[in-house]
Amino acid sequence: MDASNITFIIAAYTVTWIVLLGYLLRLVRKGGRARADYERMAQQRSGEKSQ
Amino acid sequence: MSLKREGKLTSSTDHLRDTQAARPPRTSNWLAFVSFAAVIAAQAYAILTSPADADMGHLQKIMYVHVPAAWMTFLSFFVVLVFSVRYLWRRQENDDLIAASAAEVGATFNGLTLMLGMIWGRPAWGVWWVWDARLTSTLVLFLIFVGYLALRAFTEDAQQKAQWSAAVGAIGALNVPIVYMSVKWWRTLHQPPSSPETLDPAYTLGLRINAIAMLLVLIYFIRRRYEIARLERAVEHMAEAAAMGGG
Repeated sequence: MDASNITFIIAAYTVTWIVLLGYLLRLVRKGGRARADYERMAQQRSGEKSQ
Repeated sequence: MSLKREGKLTSSTDHLRDTQAARPPRTSNWLAFVSFAAVIAAQAYAILTSPADADMGHLQKIMYVHVPAAWMTFLSFFVVLVFSVRYLWRRQENDDLIAASAAEVGATFNGLTLMLGMIWGRPAWGVWWVWDARLTSTLVLFLIFVGYLALRAFTEDAQQKAQWSAAVGAIGALNVPIVYMSVKWWRTLHQPPSSPETLDPAYTLGLRINAIAMLLVLIYFIRRRYEIARLERAVEHMAEAAAMGGG
């Protein structure tokens, strides 16, 4: 296998995994923030109702 | 409470209690695990078993990531088209959120397709980029959906955001057939579309399983992004209700 070709093949698979795992990480972080906001808001609302 | 009622986009606060009560379900992590494990297995199979191509040698192995990424781009924007048209027709909030989720995931795969194409193009054609019909139309598609996401980010009013983005999404997705057919309609440097029908049988199975594995990732990404979008919208509704003094 040509050495320069190996570099491009490795680069292609590396970029693929960076993008897939990067987007997964973004979803995990965004999801965690959204769920925390939801819980906080729901608690706040239920506190307001009980008063 | 029916899903239909929950998804209705109205300016009144009637549905806000429902939204608060309807805690959006959490997408199970098993799909993430299965889809990523499938990608690892499919890539390992394709890399280890596919023979060198007569023209490109082992560079051909880039096909197993580039082509599935392109297919997932097309599929995502098809979802955007379907749910944007459904939103314009039915005005259901859920349709808007699904379209937006698919657009974000599609833009990610579109960007990946472009990067992989450049990495493949450099050793195959001797250049990173040419203003060829396939590459240019794929870039235009990417820019349309980056614009779609920017439009959503900068529009405050939920109803206006949904209407405008549905229009942009539906029109933007119409570029997909142009991208697909560009290598047939115009003389381009890009090769004709790779598919199991046009490939040597030695590469068919590898391409199929990589496409299926990437499809699982796509489904997981869109489902997870949609779940987050519903949570964010529920928070907005609750904040709106709190500001209006509703209980």
